[in-house]
Amino acid sequence: MSNVSRRAFIKAFGLAAVAGTGLFGASAQAQRRAAAHVVILGGGIGGSTAAKYTRIMNPDVRITLIEQNAAYITCPRSNEVITGHFTLDDLTFDYETIKSRFDVDVIIDRVVGVDPDRREVRTQGGERVSYDRLVVSPGIDFRYEEIEGYTAEVAETRMPHAWKAGPQTLLLKRQLEALPQGGTVLIAPPQNPFRCPPGPYERSSLITEWLAQHNPRAKVLILDPKDRFTKDVPFKKGWERLYGYGTEHSRIEWISGSQGGRVLSVDPERMTVEAENGMHRADLVNIIPPQKAGKLAFDIGLVDQTGWCPVDRATFKSTQLDDIHVIGDSAVCDAMPKSGYSANSHAKLVAHVIRAELSGFDPVVPTWANTCYSLVGSDYGVSISDVFELRDGLIQKVPDSGAVSPVTDNPAQPLLESVYLKNWHRTFVKDVFS
Amino acid sequence: MTSRQYLGLSLVLAALALQPAAARDIASGELLGQNCAACHGTDGREFNEAMPPLAGMETEQFIRAMKDFREGRREGVVMDRIARAYSDAEIEAMAAWFASRPATQYGSEEHE
Ligand SMILES: Cc1cc2nc3c(=O)[nH]c(=O)nc-3n(C[C@H](O)[C@H](O)[C@H](O)COP(=O)(O)OP(=O)(O)OC[C@H]3O[C@@H](n4cnc5c(N)ncnc54)[C@H](O)[C@@H]3O)c2cc1C
Repeated sequence: MSNVSRRAFIKAFGLAAVAGTGLFGASAQAQRRAAAHVVILGGGIGGSTAAKYTRIMNPDVRITLIEQNAAYITCPRSNEVITGHFTLDDLTFDYETIKSRFDVDVIIDRVVGVDPDRREVRTQGGERVSYDRLVVSPGIDFRYEEIEGYTAEVAETRMPHAWKAGPQTLLLKRQLEALPQGGTVLIAPPQNPFRCPPGPYERSSLITEWLAQHNPRAKVLILDPKDRFTKDVPFKKGWERLYGYGTEHSRIEWISGSQGGRVLSVDPERMTVEAENGMHRADLVNIIPPQKAGKLAFDIGLVDQTGWCPVDRATFKSTQLDDIHVIGDSAVCDAMPKSGYSANSHAKLVAHVIRAELSGFDPVVPTWANTCYSLVGSDYGVSISDVFELRDGLIQKVPDSGAVSPVTDNPAQPLLESVYLKNWHRTFVKDVFS
Repeated sequence: MTSRQYLGLSLVLAALALQPAAARDIASGELLGQNCAACHGTDGREFNEAMPPLAGMETEQFIRAMKDFREGRREGVVMDRIARAYSDAEIEAMAAWFASRPATQYGSEEHE
């Protein structure tokens, strides 16, 4: 068959018809030994989705996933660990299904470097893994240096960020439970762009709800460098309805950037926070520092002066190095928020791009989506939902669509959104890890 | 023309005939549909309280639901907002892809 007719034939009848194999047929396994090797670094939301969908789209390639931890704890719903609705165990997932159902080699080891010329990955354990295509999804790292007095050590001991679910999430929970009656919780979100733009406001909301029950005179103070935040209209409406926001007795207060909300320094001994509008003392301080691409992305050389990884948007290929895709929080993705849903969407595109390139298909027309639900209260949800397209080389929202939850007088809307959130997490983790 | 060339040509023509009109401008139904999976499950095969399964849905039913959401004839929690992003051709491409997925719980049997 000539090339063009082979391509047309594949389009019409599917790759399996040409290859003569089913998705996981025996001959596919045999072919794989000689086949292209796709190596994925980071088994978080982006990397795990990439492993699964690369297999779904490419029955014949070899796939290896390298992740430093034997299990992954999802950040989504970790705010509810702080308030006791979930445990970290409830949010922990392993790599067994990815290994067995999708025939992925999983290496639990820390990646220490990549040689892009030899197309080889090095791990702390001394393994060398060569690749034809590399997909990198290392998540985020923190710019501690932008807040004087704040360090990784302070975050682990006195003023947790808890922006990666794990021990700091539990520290924050213990601190909340130990808060003196009538105490103050101070939460400081960062400047854009950062992981999970609605996350700090969901956390503030759920802590406020918990305090209303357990520590009714306590207050939550948000010090923000920004004047707007995602879903701020429905968030504030929810705060009004649930916590008296905007009144003298509000349980929650939000100081915007123009009101001097930007945090300049912290003193962990005195538990004080200096913002542009003055000095604040609090009993619990949750600093969510400004962010940058995950350390591994820096080590490989994928980051530019913005602190994030520039990519060709249509393929999520690094513009710094050949044969490497960067996805998830580390990648520059314009109008898309740094969310798990976005990372999952990037991964699916890359699975299609890899198939197109390895099998000689036409270039992929990209499409992306993101929906983020947040809780303003346990039974009060708000959402933002968008579909994205490539326009003028950038990822942009499809015009006249999507957007945040409308504020209505229908009490069913926020209640239903909270039900949707719960449904979403259960389904989402299966789409990622199984 | 040899019979092999003839076969090749007729396959090309058959394939072209199967392509939807705007195939070059829109993403494939598969990639569009996979972006729904984060809520509706892999291949649209999750049976849940809020987000309904999409796998195995009749194409006309899928198309009607999406257009009703898009044009405000049907209330949604989020789908009304999302549906406004999709053209007729995209909705049709997704409909065809979801119709081709088995309407059974994802993971209930191992992959064929
Ligand atoms: C409180 C909170 C709530 C959130 N809620 C939501 C939500 O409701 N919905 C939503 O869509 N998103 C949510 N997010 C955002 C979401 O968690 C992230 O956007 C998502 O995890 C990004 O995926 P990723 O693959 O880029 O990074 P990650 O999921 O962080 O994965 C990175 C992986 O790489 C591994 N890794 C890093 N370096 C190395 C190395 N050198 N060697 C080996 N492995 C390495 C890490 O161990 C990790 O497993 C929330 C985030 C927070 C903090």
